[in-house]
Amino acid sequence: MLAVPEQFFCHKLTNGLTVLAQPMPSVSSAAMSVMTPAGASHDPADQAGAASVMINWFLRGAGGRNTRQLHEALDSLGCQHSEAVHSEHIMFAAAQLGRNLMPALDLYADILRRPSLEDASFEPCRALTVQDLSSLEDEPAQKCTILLRENFYPWPLGRCVYGSQQTLSQMQADQIRAHVEKNVGPVGTILASAGNLDWDKLLARIEDLFGDWPAQSPPAVQAGPAGQKLTYIHKDSAQTHIGLAHPTVPIGHPQYYPARMACTVLSGGMASRLFTEVREKRGLVYHVSARYHTLKDFAGIFTYAGTTPQKAKQTLEVTIEELRRLGRGISEQELNRAKTQLKSALVMQGESTSARASSIASDWHTLGRIRTLDEISRSIDAVSIEQVMEHLHDWPARNFTVLVIGPESLDTRCIGE
Amino acid sequence: MAMEFLHTKLDNGLTIIAESNSSSASMAAGFFVRTGSRDESKELSGVSHFLEHMVFKGTDRRTAIDVNLEFDRMGAEYNACTSEENTVYYGAVLPEFQDPLVELLADLMRPALRMEDFEMERNVILEEIALYEDQPRFRVYEKLMQEHFGQHPLGNSILGTNDSISSLRRDDMHAYLRRRYCPSNVTAVGTGKIDFERLVETLRRTCSSWEPMPADRATPPARPAMCRRTIIDPKLIRTHVGLMSSAPSNQDDSRYAAELLATIVGDDTGSRLFYALIEPAVADEAAMAYDPLDQAGGFLTFVSCDPQKANEAISVVKSELTRFQREGPSMQELESAKNKIAAGATIKGELPMERLRAVGYEWVYLHRHMTLEEHIDRLFAVSGGQVLDLARQYDLTTATMLVLSPTETA
Repeated sequence: MLAVPEQFFCHKLTNGLTVLAQPMPSVSSAAMSVMTPAGASHDPADQAGAASVMINWFLRGAGGRNTRQLHEALDSLGCQHSEAVHSEHIMFAAAQLGRNLMPALDLYADILRRPSLEDASFEPCRALTVQDLSSLEDEPAQKCTILLRENFYPWPLGRCVYGSQQTLSQMQADQIRAHVEKNVGPVGTILASAGNLDWDKLLARIEDLFGDWPAQSPPAVQAGPAGQKLTYIHKDSAQTHIGLAHPTVPIGHPQYYPARMACTVLSGGMASRLFTEVREKRGLVYHVSARYHTLKDFAGIFTYAGTTPQKAKQTLEVTIEELRRLGRGISEQELNRAKTQLKSALVMQGESTSARASSIASDWHTLGRIRTLDEISRSIDAVSIEQVMEHLHDWPARNFTVLVIGPESLDTRCIGE
Repeated sequence: MAMEFLHTKLDNGLTIIAESNSSSASMAAGFFVRTGSRDESKELSGVSHFLEHMVFKGTDRRTAIDVNLEFDRMGAEYNACTSEENTVYYGAVLPEFQDPLVELLADLMRPALRMEDFEMERNVILEEIALYEDQPRFRVYEKLMQEHFGQHPLGNSILGTNDSISSLRRDDMHAYLRRRYCPSNVTAVGTGKIDFERLVETLRRTCSSWEPMPADRATPPARPAMCRRTIIDPKLIRTHVGLMSSAPSNQDDSRYAAELLATIVGDDTGSRLFYALIEPAVADEAAMAYDPLDQAGGFLTFVSCDPQKANEAISVVKSELTRFQREGPSMQELESAKNKIAAGATIKGELPMERLRAVGYEWVYLHRHMTLEEHIDRLFAVSGGQVLDLARQYDLTTATMLVLSPTETA
């Protein structure tokens, strides 16, 4: 199905850094994605929010440049960069013209290995994270999703990356420096590139830049029990924000593709079950969706619906019924539509160098290998209705974690748990 | 990359354009209708956006369920958006689905507007209004546009209000559809791995029956209010500020300088506002964007911060704008901004769905095609002096300001 065969390269440096690349000959951009296992779940319990403060601080000068000089260096390369904190990793992403990939790598070597981490710039980084956390109060839909994830996953895997006002208020620069020292290094770090690149030159440069990066020994994360099952947060919002999560299989599981297929039938397009029943037939919402989300070892189906308070009970009832009805059977046509949708999304994602760089990095992290688009496509094609039904039998829509934000509490008896 | 631009016009006046790229893996197609909230009368407030929803509810030949099923069967990524002056319907698929995608989109441009669908969708629109009510950033944008443009049509709300939507009648929407979705007011656009001949053939079959009709638009000169308004909402935790000053229109060649100006002053990172507000954590968001419109334009700045920092943040924005207008950009700033915009446009240009917007809007506003390379060349030709002149000519320091805050600010 692909015009050009995909080509991948991978190499592990002796210090543990994994280097991945996918050359894409027909494009002029090249993107890179660096994943380092120092995500929010690695934050020490009394320093929740450490990863968010840290990733801000990394951009405040590096390799002898101050904040402004560092940003000017990135900007002069036309580097479109972003930084994000996930559960397991912190992630640096940068997309630029292929000819600027090497100089961008030089800058990222400075950012990762020689960040200034000066006292003077610590306080603003902490203060920005405090503001990110309080901004959630003005964005109830987003807050609903974030807190639901926090309650759903075994603690602290789904923890809100901004920490808490309490931990942030006590955070010290030295603690974060120690945290960086312990957690940020080549071990477990994945550096993936995709686009207009030359593998031999790329690898040689990365060897030069990162070959002598001393290995660190990051402590393993101990996952504990998940949070409370039913949470209501009062807020005088215009809508009631309803979040539901129930467990499913993670990406490495044999039932992964059937699970993705089931979720696509439920909420993949405008003809999907949820959209049809909750919005099209009843006009209860503008936004309703169910999304598959996976960590390395745990995964969930996250369902969200936002509706005005007087319709909230009915919205919840119809949504829950659709989640359950899925287990009673799906049609051949539904399965075929889901397959086409997933495969077509795959091809379109395959055109983006940024999306490719981050996909191959996350494949490597979760599966220890890279899936070709062709392999994914064939795996999707191979899924049968029986497999989807077997999956839904093994992983039915129950054991819900529920989080509601709105002006009135919600009658959740229809969930029946 | 093998790129080619092609265009033609059907007898009834419908323009068809395509920028084909044989190395793409997907194709995108869209209908750009030159209509939006600025083309609405007061009684019809929100009709463009409501109609955009109704378009997906089907035609004489298709029910709403049929429409959704057909899109999903092609694995299409598709959506629509309504702004002050454009309503755009678009989809991307694998090249093998070009014909069914184009046929479906084209058929949808003549929706049935069935009464029961109309009543059901009214509920969805009211929910969408409630959804945005919970997003302060959107509230600031809407109120700011209203304040800035006042009675000018660009001050009209895109969503409309609970009242206007509740009282809107199906027949009024139908009359609006007839007036605004006529061939001369619509452009069909294709990008990516597209077969132009088949595109034209499909559209000729589907759209030739569209009745030609004149469609005009009032473009009175804007008389921006340049006032300050504060809205107190004790339910909020943070203060959200929006500023709007005048800027070149979409038809104006100085829009390249305007794009550079907004990047230098207010890009997310590495800009004047970034160093002045984000780096010291006075605000957690501070960004300026250039919003080019039909015979009008604006520089839009958003800031969000703690309420007790609001006055400081606002005065920092003002002093940065004043300083920029005095000194202009440094050579380094200008070069960086050019590189950033060029790289961003190139990266986006690799995706047919993104390229569709650029190609479509260029035609809608200027009736011309511009390659990505030409766009980048024009950007690089702008001098620092031109950016400075532009700042002075449009006067960044005179702006309409909207403050949405839990408490009174001074």
